[in-house]
Amino acid sequence: MSEQIREQVSAFLDGELPNSETELLLKRLTKDAGLRESFGRYALIGESLRGATHGHLTKGFTARVNRAIDGEPSIALPTAAKGGVSRRWRSVAGVAVAAGVAAIAVVSYQHRANGPGLQVADVREAVPTLVAQSGGASVSGSAKPTEAISYTVPATLAEAPVVMPAARLTNYVFAHSKYSSVMGQNDVLNDLLSEADAQEPHATEASRDSRTVP
Amino acid sequence: MMSILRSRAGWLVPCAMVGVLFASLPQRSLAANDAREWLARMNRALATRNYDGTFFHLSDGRVETMRIVHRVHAGRVTERLVSMDGSGREFVRNNDELTCYLPDQHTILVEPRQDHGPFLGSLPQFGDDVNRFYHIEALDKSRVLGHPARLIVVTPTDQYRFGYRLWLDETTAMPLKTQLCDAHGQVIEQILFARLDMPESIADAELTPAVHSEGMRWVRQEPATDSASVSAYRASELPPGFHLTVAGAQTLGGAHVPATHLVYSDGLATVSVFVEAPRDATPPSDKVDVAAEPPMQGLARVGSGFAFSTVVQGHQVTAVGEVPAQTVEFIAHSVRSSSSSDLAAH
Repeated sequence: MSEQIREQVSAFLDGELPNSETELLLKRLTKDAGLRESFGRYALIGESLRGATHGHLTKGFTARVNRAIDGEPSIALPTAAKGGVSRRWRSVAGVAVAAGVAAIAVVSYQHRANGPGLQVADVREAVPTLVAQSGGASVSGSAKPTEAISYTVPATLAEAPVVMPAARLTNYVFAHSKYSSVMGQNDVLNDLLSEADAQEPHATEASRDSRTVP
Repeated sequence: MMSILRSRAGWLVPCAMVGVLFASLPQRSLAANDAREWLARMNRALATRNYDGTFFHLSDGRVETMRIVHRVHAGRVTERLVSMDGSGREFVRNNDELTCYLPDQHTILVEPRQDHGPFLGSLPQFGDDVNRFYHIEALDKSRVLGHPARLIVVTPTDQYRFGYRLWLDETTAMPLKTQLCDAHGQVIEQILFARLDMPESIADAELTPAVHSEGMRWVRQEPATDSASVSAYRASELPPGFHLTVAGAQTLGGAHVPATHLVYSDGLATVSVFVEAPRDATPPSDKVDVAAEPPMQGLARVGSGFAFSTVVQGHQVTAVGEVPAQTVEFIAHSVRSSSSSDLAAH
């Protein structure tokens, strides 16, 4: 990220970028996937550093974000790997342990709720191998394993992995969206919209028997 | 760490101060009432105002840029959500149906909406149920997108649900920035508006999908008209505060037999449970239906929430919701048939 853009992003996140410049930044972001990634990292780092202050910008926030972006040694930069961000940042920012919650519960919950740390192995009845996938992207067919991923259960059984096919997942989410609360609703839909990497074969395969309207 | 906690506690002081002015009410409840009033205003604004905005959806280090256009005209609500990052995907919703255009998959999904006034109807009411499982606070004023904003924090009281932080425009109560957080306040997802206009009127063209539908496959998810197709399967046990709100049946895209669709809610978060009969229970058909696929088992991430699928008494049971993984797991695992005839059949 160039210094200029970094300043723009930083000002934007601080709510201080003039509207005209916001438009420009927006245009750049929609055109440049790499920049979007940096922006996402930047924003997330910001959130993590702000952490428990409920989003209030503290003094020196921007400087800390800049240091983080530049790879300050004590801070591991999140990678694009699914869900790696929050877990890593939790340890960095030390945000945490909400009062009154037993540490062990915190750990087990965090593992479950945050992507890659997810220990699917302790899913009850530890069924065959299970491949959890990110929001509908197929694991097997993906050209971008880091995005598609996730985690496999240690293969305790020899059977072929049973996945939740992207198309079926999409159908469930779609049917569910009607009942989501207003806060959750756009969110689940956003997720469907944003799955640009979802694998076409799965979707077409699963829908081949559906009613076809010319 | 301590300083972080201290500064957080500092934000509570203004709320408490306001509470002192009304000696007849507990301090906390006043602050909560204020916050609920803000959320109610937000809900009204989201449902009844015209708006056209571009926002970032940040999750897991990914950023998507999206545009939302929402129009309320002559009692009809039309809403369009567009991905601006290349996939060309779009959603268009109106009072009758929700249509999802997936040009990259040559597919168009249609979900009929039978209920009238669905948008308003689906708004959380922040009633007493919600109060038991979430703390709702109105916190500091700040600025988002150059506008004065009010921060509302919705914190779950246990780990079966997520929380929210919402920065609402002081004037319009529109959520300029929204964060979904886990029970520890860790941000899972964020929506941040870069631009938000609230025009008097919105032209039809702004609500028309840019996708050309020729050659696309249409997949329609039908509600089942026959109430007998709702099976006797229900969650036998639920996380605290969740209760059954809807039990229906619908045929999901790609399937030929209706799935039972159960909706459980704690007043704010919702979880859908789909129960699909095994293949041998379905009428003979030369078509392949989804029940013929190998059973699914396991957890998948769905945006900010999760889906968990398992097999119960031969039925495929899948729970989906914007809740932590353990909630969908808990509910899916607890599903049982409440009728002995169903049990006998398998």
